[in-house]
Amino acid sequence: MSISDTEPQLQPAQPLAPVPPELPPDPALTATARRHSWRRNRFAWALIAPALIFMVLVHIVPMLLGVYVSFLKLNTFTLPKLFGAPWIGLANFKGLFDSANPLHNGFVDATRNTAIYTTTVVVGTIGGGLGVALLLNRSFPGVRIVRTLMLTPWIIPTFVVATLWQFMWQRDAGIINKILVDYTHVLSHKPTWLLGDNTIWAIVIPSIWRGLPLPMLFFLAALQAMPPELHEAAKMDGAGAWRRFRHITLPLLRPLIGIQLLFGVIYATYQFVMPYIMLGSDPGPKADLLMTLIVRQAFDNNLFGYGAAISTLLMLAMAAWVALWYLAFRRDLEVAA
Amino acid sequence: MRRASRTRLFILLAASIVLALVVAACGGKSSSSETTKAAAPANNIKGATVTMWVMNNGPHPVEDTQRILKPFEQQTGVKVDVKLVGWDVQFDRIKNSAVSGTGPDITQAGTTQVPFFAALGGFQDLSQYTSQIGGAGAYANGIWKTTQVEGQSGTWAVPWFTEARAIYYRKDALQKAGIDPATAFTDWDAFNSTLTKLKAVKDVGGKPIKPFGGPGKKAFDLVHGVMPFVWTAGGSELTPDNKQSAINSPQSAEGVEFYANLIREGVFDTSALEKDGQGVEDMFKGGQLAVWIGGPWVLQAAGRADDPKWSDAARKNVGIAPLPKGPSGKSFAFVGGSNLMMYKTAKNKDAAWAVIKYLSQDSSQKAYAELMGMFPARLAPQRQVGATDQNHKEFLQAIEEGRSYAPIPQWAQVENAYKSSFGDILDTAAGFGGKSYSTQEVQKQLDAAAKEADTLLAQGA
Repeated sequence: MSISDTEPQLQPAQPLAPVPPELPPDPALTATARRHSWRRNRFAWALIAPALIFMVLVHIVPMLLGVYVSFLKLNTFTLPKLFGAPWIGLANFKGLFDSANPLHNGFVDATRNTAIYTTTVVVGTIGGGLGVALLLNRSFPGVRIVRTLMLTPWIIPTFVVATLWQFMWQRDAGIINKILVDYTHVLSHKPTWLLGDNTIWAIVIPSIWRGLPLPMLFFLAALQAMPPELHEAAKMDGAGAWRRFRHITLPLLRPLIGIQLLFGVIYATYQFVMPYIMLGSDPGPKADLLMTLIVRQAFDNNLFGYGAAISTLLMLAMAAWVALWYLAFRRDLEVAA
Repeated sequence: MRRASRTRLFILLAASIVLALVVAACGGKSSSSETTKAAAPANNIKGATVTMWVMNNGPHPVEDTQRILKPFEQQTGVKVDVKLVGWDVQFDRIKNSAVSGTGPDITQAGTTQVPFFAALGGFQDLSQYTSQIGGAGAYANGIWKTTQVEGQSGTWAVPWFTEARAIYYRKDALQKAGIDPATAFTDWDAFNSTLTKLKAVKDVGGKPIKPFGGPGKKAFDLVHGVMPFVWTAGGSELTPDNKQSAINSPQSAEGVEFYANLIREGVFDTSALEKDGQGVEDMFKGGQLAVWIGGPWVLQAAGRADDPKWSDAARKNVGIAPLPKGPSGKSFAFVGGSNLMMYKTAKNKDAAWAVIKYLSQDSSQKAYAELMGMFPARLAPQRQVGATDQNHKEFLQAIEEGRSYAPIPQWAQVENAYKSSFGDILDTAAGFGGKSYSTQEVQKQLDAAAKEADTLLAQGA
């Protein structure tokens, strides 16, 4: 029996009962049915109404207003007019893509940095979380203590994490360089982390450190719920650890990886606290993320139209990501449901 | 059917998540929770309550302000409700409250912020009142200018307290290097020579010390540290008509380059560039720097035993000198401080003005400035504080010879553009960021800053 025989076969969804051809609706019957349906569901609508109104007021309306602002010339002089500021169409968006505009370079830098940050943090947290979960899915003395300790970074607020790492990254007094240079001699000179090219890593590494425990927790729970018979049978058939991981563990974890990817990318793309606390409102060309750029242009520089334009583009990018993700993981969701 | 509804449900959920996060991205900062009703005429101020926002000017900003105002409250029967708004959020909170009309009655504002806040239209023109406090004649010209908006009539604020930047040096370090403090910082050459000699002083009292340090782009006041060198080189932040940036003029570039060259010459501790202004201030207090540029509050802090950041050696050896003269033959320091502004929506304008008037008396100015370690804004008490000792005399000279920025509404944004540029230039000089440092590179970065500033200056309704 080959390993592929032991691979869990994903069952296709049950075929649906044949749908009878639709008949032309009877208007009188349809109206009655609608009234009946409304009466039947009235109570349910009443129950969800507060949440619905809250969602519309707190989510939908501000979002639409944010998009509206992206078409306005809302700046220092027009701020008192707020939504009555002059309408300038797509000028704010065009400015972002016009290399002659002084704000163009900042937008390009922030977009590049956000892509690097999101990719490395998502890969680091999900990959690292899976690796640690596999290590902790074994029994060894003190495993419970180790599992608890591994969760520690997750319970520390991001603000505190950023503040602590800011001290740790300092070139002369920081513990990182002391370990790398003074204690272990891994490097011959102390690198500067909080300025220049290394700044992106100064925010990526603490973000992975802070974000790793949550995926690890999910993966560990999933690994422990996995039927051991699958691995045992594969082992008896001579499958090595890698093949068992590749053909049993990974396919079973796929839906969980999908969910982690969805939230991980959105969370990382909207990261603000880490660079802001560690590097200030202007983290520099190598670590400025789209969120710090939005806040700086909109709230420090009063260029609300530009800020809203970048926010709108970011929203569209995230919508595209969700659509892409849905296409990739639709099958897993159906199985999970 | 079930599958389709699941799909729809999922899409709805996913869309909600995206929307929620986008709203978080688009959402503005909350406006003030302070609620003030429309102004009502009041002939009698007794019994009125005036709400006042102050920033964290010292270790106990609310208590100190209340202490100064206590005699006023007893004399007039006006209650002053002092509330703290941190420097980190004050710009947004004052801006939001001015636009929404839901602010306190009075607020403290940074001198360079006044033109922007005034442009929002939510503040009271105080021209009708200012004769009661002596008007412009009671203040130094540069300080009174911070209450005006370029090209407009009206007085939008009253100066409250003043500060200027000067050189702090360690007397013991200079002594060890054989430098006479009287001539150590007179001009750029002397400044350079002093720092070069201090480079040879590796430690003082067994503790390692670096010649000089200043903050990098993380400091909100980086521009205040660099602009004095631009001014002394004959440069300027804007053209005389305030319509265009002048930060890329040859004189301005010379000033920026002089400051950045301190890094190239190895007298500037580049680890300071990682820190904000407070971080570098702590380096000087802790005895790690022989020379540093700072404000008068640090001088006051040296005398306070409850400030644990001071090393004994640093505390005992603080010396003050004005900033060096440059190619222009002049020395300029940045002069800042805070003003008081009255909201148009103040419930009882007479009572609000009475508070501002009381805080503008010579005696209360002197008492409050001493508590904060600042200088009074008014000339008479300013000179009294300046006569305290030699160090205070040096600060008074810095204030009297100092400069501030053009009083235009866009200044805060232009300053942000300059801050980014100066930060990048200093990083490049220190070898961070992958660019090679040269005069041409400095010019290129200043040209980019000037272009951004010109765009900001050109914005209008």
